[in-house]
Amino acid sequence: MSEQALSGIKVIDLAEGISGSYCAKLMADFGADVIKVEAPNNNDGLRKVGPFKDDDPSAEKSGTFFYLNTNKKSVTIDLTSNKGQDIFKKLVKDTDVVIESFEPGKMADMGLSYNTLQEINPNLVMTSITWFGQNGPYRDFKATNFTAFGLAGAMYMMRQTRWPDTRPTILGGKQAEYTAGLIGYIVTMAAVISPVKGTWIDLSVMEALASTLTGVSADYSYIGLSRRTLPWAIHGFPTQENYPCKDGFVNLTPGLGGTKVIADLIEKPEERENPLLVKAGARVKAPEKFEELVLPWLKEHKKWEITEKAQKLKLAFAPILSPKELLDDPQLKAREFFVKTEHPEMGEVTYPGAPAKLSETPWKAGRAPLMGEHTEEILTDIGYTKSDLTALADEGII
Amino acid sequence: MAYKLLEGIRVLDLTMVYAGPMGARMFADLGAEVIKIESPTRPDMFTRANVYPDNQPTETAWNCGGYFHTINAGKRGISLDLGTDKGKEIFKKLVKISDIVMENFSPRVMDKLGLGYDVLKEINPKIIMASMSGLGHYGPLRDFYMYMTGMEGMSGMTAISGHPDQPPLLSNFAYGDWMLGVTGTMAVMTALYNRNKTGKGQYIDISGREAISTHIGDVIMDSTLNGREQERCGNDDPYMAPHQCYQCKDEDTWVTVAVENDEQFTALCDVMGQQNLKDDSRFADKTSRLQNKSELDQIIEDWTKTKNNHEVMELLQKAGVPAGAVLSMKELHLDSHLAERGFFDIIDHGPEGGKRPIVKQMPAKLSGVDSFVPKRAPRFAEDNEYVFCELLGMSKDELNALEEEKVAGTTPRFPPGRPARLDLIEKQVGKGAGHIDPNYLDELRKIYGEDIGKK
Repeated sequence: MSEQALSGIKVIDLAEGISGSYCAKLMADFGADVIKVEAPNNNDGLRKVGPFKDDDPSAEKSGTFFYLNTNKKSVTIDLTSNKGQDIFKKLVKDTDVVIESFEPGKMADMGLSYNTLQEINPNLVMTSITWFGQNGPYRDFKATNFTAFGLAGAMYMMRQTRWPDTRPTILGGKQAEYTAGLIGYIVTMAAVISPVKGTWIDLSVMEALASTLTGVSADYSYIGLSRRTLPWAIHGFPTQENYPCKDGFVNLTPGLGGTKVIADLIEKPEERENPLLVKAGARVKAPEKFEELVLPWLKEHKKWEITEKAQKLKLAFAPILSPKELLDDPQLKAREFFVKTEHPEMGEVTYPGAPAKLSETPWKAGRAPLMGEHTEEILTDIGYTKSDLTALADEGII
Repeated sequence: MAYKLLEGIRVLDLTMVYAGPMGARMFADLGAEVIKIESPTRPDMFTRANVYPDNQPTETAWNCGGYFHTINAGKRGISLDLGTDKGKEIFKKLVKISDIVMENFSPRVMDKLGLGYDVLKEINPKIIMASMSGLGHYGPLRDFYMYMTGMEGMSGMTAISGHPDQPPLLSNFAYGDWMLGVTGTMAVMTALYNRNKTGKGQYIDISGREAISTHIGDVIMDSTLNGREQERCGNDDPYMAPHQCYQCKDEDTWVTVAVENDEQFTALCDVMGQQNLKDDSRFADKTSRLQNKSELDQIIEDWTKTKNNHEVMELLQKAGVPAGAVLSMKELHLDSHLAERGFFDIIDHGPEGGKRPIVKQMPAKLSGVDSFVPKRAPRFAEDNEYVFCELLGMSKDELNALEEEKVAGTTPRFPPGRPARLDLIEKQVGKGAGHIDPNYLDELRKIYGEDIGKK
């Protein structure tokens, strides 16, 4: 196997949720040796979360678990037992990074606090990703991606410009959790790279998502504004409008071509000097008039047809694509964004690949492990004999 | 004690607007030296020209932009016109003494300037170069004109965002830009580890749209595994009910509740004082609650409407039910949890804004050490002397000549600063694009000190 960027880094992933699993997945996909520690006889984690292959809710057929655990090895250990904790401590001796997402205080309750682990391994980097962090008034609050999205200040402004007083909503998928995973990867790698050794990282999902608001946060501290949708007076109109067309929706954000050429797009050259196309202020004052001009043509054309014609006019219009439509996208095909691997229970699995293309040390496709698939291999490596393993399995420790 | 994880690493930041600058700022937050390079004829216009402190631009408006202050905190700033031969020559000298180059021009621009990776790696084989663009640097659509809107729209995420009876919804906070920039940071960090190990740099091509798609990977799996199409479903969750954002007592205030199991549902009924719901066959188990969620939502909202958002959150959290106030930007700034954890750094912008709370771009906390507070964002060309004289060894005369020749001018081409049209924001579609709090400085002072905003 060829050398990858993170080859040689050893990681233990104790995360049950998306954020920690995603963080460790990125490490595995870039070449680190990642051991996922799962609780035996307890598949409470992502293995129970759909979508499932053929809608069969078996622990080995979760698409969510697969996507978030590619290239990892799976070891089952009961960390709530003393013997399980001993095994874990042996693993920690020879690891670089531990990623965990238990509720604050749980690691310490199991006798596995950072201080204890650092005595075993002084250089250890441990990354704790929790909903609200290791201190503060919300520390012990319960959360989901949905409630964290609201607390991070992001949901309040998730409203259509046309209906700014409607019920706020979230971005699709689990953005708060993925965001924490991505930031977790960056800060963990910074700690691994740093000459300063032995770092415990405390990352909160709420703060991770709130940190994506960087620019917009100045709205309040500079001019007292709490936006609930996109203010056209700052960003112009149209910028965020997704309008219906013949086969879906297109986004209208004029680009270098300016707005004048929209007249050419909609086959009404006589409108080239219409103030609605020429003057930004006229559009902000009467958005519905701009829409009366443009929407009828859009409704008669398909999203790719509109996009291709608009792009030739240097208008940055784009189609709104569904997750399924990505599979047929010409750009994604040319860039081999989707990858395929074989899985013993799921068969051939296609899934989204590299988040970035590195020229010398590329990201690598792989599959998720079966539950406990590598228990014997890993524990034998750290000195357990066959009979030790049988005894541990009988006791339900592994 | 404060320490900087990436002390000694130098980043050349050629990026503009939101995406690239956020990615590069993360390096500054981790202690690297980030040098932002702007052309005097084409400065980082949008962020410099928007949200002036207290809506009052000064004569040097380009140094006042609130968005710029936020997204470029902790960086050094120089001016350099890469369109000139001398500018290119100086840039190459900087590449020689740097570790990382980050750029988010349209594909082809760096090559056209004669500053593509093939050229830069000859100068410094250890250099890591990251190109961040909408659709990537190769492929049939690479030359599409793209903004954050197109990246989000083409990622699959927008199609599954928003209420089913409204069009698909983009993030109104430039999430796609953050994804592109910070995915760039992630990739560069990966390459940096590899470079320390092997001594070799590399080139990285990041497509914003692909970066976003990786964050809905679990959703896409339903299409790849089962051929199923996904649609936007607002605040519904396939496994949870109740699962909604509910209106509270005060105008435009909201709280989320997400009930994961029967135990939490029972607790919710107790908190609302509606024990009868526990025995109501419509809500007996998860399946029936999912079926009858509209009726259930109505009952819950009738209750939340009598309380404020923090009150509902506290009551439900005490009973072990996931609930969260939906914080406005004002409430986020005044939030007691974030204040206690030091999520906002207080950064002094001097005469161009005074002290303001600025969001951390790298929010993680490190054990045993205080995180350092980044320096304020640079004024235009502020670090020309440091970079050209101290780092590159030029004389003051040479620096002056560069300024006169407009290779490194100290005043950007910039229109007069204009205040934001708060009146239009308050009137947008008759309902308002947001709420304007005239007492925001007083509110911030209560938490972050009396000198907030004083110049």
